[in-house]
Amino acid sequence: MALPVHLRDSVTPQELEMIACQQLIEIVPLIAMEKTAFISGAYGPLRPPSKAKLPLWMAVNLKLKKKCHIIAPDWLNVEHLQDRLAQEVAKPDAFSDLPFRFSEISKVLLDVASDDLENPDQLRSLLKDLREARQAKSREGLKHLDHSELGLTGLSSMEINEIRPFFVQSMNVLTKIARSSET
Amino acid sequence: MDADADTGPAAARPAAPLQEEEPQTPLQQMMRHWVNERHAPDILPAQEGLMMGLLDHLRRQTRSVQVLRDDPTSSESEHIRIHLVQTEIERVRFVIRSYVRTRLYKIEKYARYITSNAEIQTRLTASERDYASKHARLTDQHLYLSVLQSLPPAQAHLDDTAVFSPSMVTVPDKTRPIFVHALQDCPPVRLPDGATLEMKKGHISLTPYHVVEQLLERGEVELV
Repeated sequence: MALPVHLRDSVTPQELEMIACQQLIEIVPLIAMEKTAFISGAYGPLRPPSKAKLPLWMAVNLKLKKKCHIIAPDWLNVEHLQDRLAQEVAKPDAFSDLPFRFSEISKVLLDVASDDLENPDQLRSLLKDLREARQAKSREGLKHLDHSELGLTGLSSMEINEIRPFFVQSMNVLTKIARSSET
Repeated sequence: MDADADTGPAAARPAAPLQEEEPQTPLQQMMRHWVNERHAPDILPAQEGLMMGLLDHLRRQTRSVQVLRDDPTSSESEHIRIHLVQTEIERVRFVIRSYVRTRLYKIEKYARYITSNAEIQTRLTASERDYASKHARLTDQHLYLSVLQSLPPAQAHLDDTAVFSPSMVTVPDKTRPIFVHALQDCPPVRLPDGATLEMKKGHISLTPYHVVEQLLERGEVELV
């Protein structure tokens, strides 16, 4: 078969992570490297200890070889996430404003570069709280589902992927009901 | 994927380090087409030029890696550099492969429909059209030889349009809901319930595919 069954209706979290790893992040390199032309663009030169911007997957690659420190994006710190969590609780009908791929990026960074982050454990628990608060809201959205449209602005890519199978199927059923009540 | 980090109206959010800047590189475009293709129930217009460009680039990168690797005097940082270039080659290959396979899957699924529909053929490359007609011919032949030839002639068709049963030819289900993300302010579109929807930049909606089909073709929205 051209496409395995589990890839037909949705993308996988691994694929989302791969897409997110294309985004740029700042690092402090520990090795020198000439400017190099990659397919996604030219990166470098790396001159320790000055900062450089690379795609996240390259940063992860270097980090695993202990050749760089990753600088956390400025939304990934305890203070900022606490603020978002407070907003999340204060505003029951809106999602707080987080980067579209925050969950993939924070997972990758916590997995490979937790020593470059401040308070990784607290970050983990904040991200978990955020996830739960947001999940409750997106499920609440199911109440408003009809056959034509459901606005979900602010939802992140991983969260969309999580609710996709159920929401798509529900809307499909509603479409069928709407169509049969027309005729 | 440029607007990914910027989905909300409050652009003042300090997420700048992870934002990709315009204009989009061929790889970013390819990845967007790949994800769109994965989510869309219909076959989207082929991106032959874009893909050929990337494949050429892949070949060039592979060649230069080969040259560098054959050089025994390279230092440790050279090795890391080569390794990174190779990793990227694999990543790009993965995207292109997945894109082509997704299209092949849809072509096999809709093969009979493609052979009878001129509009959808304009969205395929020459080799994809060829593949579709071959696939349709093979399955037809197989069905005829294994079952249909022993049935009464009246029941031996593959394209009956009986009144109360679903069509025998699989067509793309354009009512399938998809998640859509507006890349810019979009002109209003009509929803199935008669209302109109005007998406601002960053808007995310769950809506049937046919609602945003044209916006998608013009690149004003992406599927997520």
